[in-house]
Amino acid sequence: MKTGVSGELLNISGLSFSYEKDSVVLKDISFTANYGESIGLVGANGIGKSTLMKLMVGLFLDYTGDITVVGHKMNKKNLDHIREHIGYVFQDSDSQLFLTTVEDDVAFGPRNYGLSEEEVEERVSEALRLVGIENLRDNKTYKLSGGEKKLASIATILSMKPDIIIMDEPSVALDPRNRRNLIQVLKGIGGLKIIASHDLDFVSKTCERTILLDEGTIVYDGRTEDVLGNSELLEAHGL
Amino acid sequence: MNSIEKRLVELNKLQDLQQRSHWMNNLHPLGKLLISVIYIFLVTSVGKYEIVPLILLSVYIIFTYIIGELSFREGIYRMRLILPLVLFVGIFNPFLDKTTVMIAGYSVSGGMVSMLTLMIKGLYTVLAVYVLIATTSIDDICYALRTVKVPKIIVIVIMLIYRYIDVMSNEADRIYTAYRLRAPGQKGIEYRSWGTLVGQWLLRSMDKARVVYESMHLRGFKGDFILKKKGVKKIDVIYPIVWGLILLFIRFYAGRGVL
Repeated sequence: MKTGVSGELLNISGLSFSYEKDSVVLKDISFTANYGESIGLVGANGIGKSTLMKLMVGLFLDYTGDITVVGHKMNKKNLDHIREHIGYVFQDSDSQLFLTTVEDDVAFGPRNYGLSEEEVEERVSEALRLVGIENLRDNKTYKLSGGEKKLASIATILSMKPDIIIMDEPSVALDPRNRRNLIQVLKGIGGLKIIASHDLDFVSKTCERTILLDEGTIVYDGRTEDVLGNSELLEAHGL
Repeated sequence: MNSIEKRLVELNKLQDLQQRSHWMNNLHPLGKLLISVIYIFLVTSVGKYEIVPLILLSVYIIFTYIIGELSFREGIYRMRLILPLVLFVGIFNPFLDKTTVMIAGYSVSGGMVSMLTLMIKGLYTVLAVYVLIATTSIDDICYALRTVKVPKIIVIVIMLIYRYIDVMSNEADRIYTAYRLRAPGQKGIEYRSWGTLVGQWLLRSMDKARVVYESMHLRGFKGDFILKKKGVKKIDVIYPIVWGLILLFIRFYAGRGVL
């Protein structure tokens, strides 16, 4: 990983956020996440999972509370630095892939961070190898299948060697084989992973810790088998 | 297939052409851009009665279409929206220009010749642009533009427009397909639905475009596309120089004795 950091990578404390006055989306969210953890973020539609993830990567800064990423407090000044440590995989892979070829797209992040062409090349090769799509290197992004697009979009983030990877619904629209493949890929990625998903089976296979959100607050934070094995708890919170 | 889908297929076909493994595609984009600009400049600079150099200048078009394995028919078809404009721009010349000119010893109506030269100029220009865009990806064209110090804001606008055309076309296609499926037997879109559909289309396209931009931003995009530096091979230098010399010779020396 980028900095060789370990221990606590993410600290969220008393986080509240609203898009408009009088309609609070997230209320007093607090949790910490460490290197090597894989955390599932589950909850019904519209309870603020995506908003929470966007706050973690600094897409919204007008919140109350504190977000600390790899020891850096989230604010406008630290934003560039923080984004070197944190990668965000969007739900819609088409939004993530905007250049002509897979290689160009995977190289986009490293080039923007001013790496030399040799380093970029090395990072691209490694990222493509990690997700197992070296053979798609020169392929056009618009011609990839859904599963390939998902892997390519993960590679675009891995090439930046982030300490934290945040994924929004990574298993959506994948067929069973691509889904199994993605699970294996995610198991092979180090650092801290935070995966938001409605696919509880996917979460159970990729995450050892799960945070359950409802009405903008954390209602449960614990071992995945404890959360997903508690059908009453899930039912009570819209899952 | 509806008309939006057809346009998307055409766009994909063009991108396929740009991604071919052909030596013309592999030429340095700067050379191709420069020679296209020089060609268009030379073609448009030909005098309105100078038909011979204009006919000789077709050598570039013929060469690039044959050697580049490009379909002339496709080139014309892709440019069908612009072609009527460039072809009919001189349509009134025979009525307005009553001069008589000599070509190869024959006396010809100046108005007819100037109309013809205008049409040919328009056609060559359009076909030369097609050669460029069929052998060079938008990323490479933008790379070449940045190399010749075109302001980055202009280059980024070109790149983003190209990206967002795709985003907007896909959204339009989804909306139109959803509409058609719930309005069987209806021809086109009912006028009362236009406002809502266009509004939806713009909102959804803006939302999509925002996500694309966020994705770029989160990967360190700070207002400049940093593209892979391209090495310059011998052929990258020889190709534009040879073509530049040929075209200059044709423009200024060839056909002198005929007119």
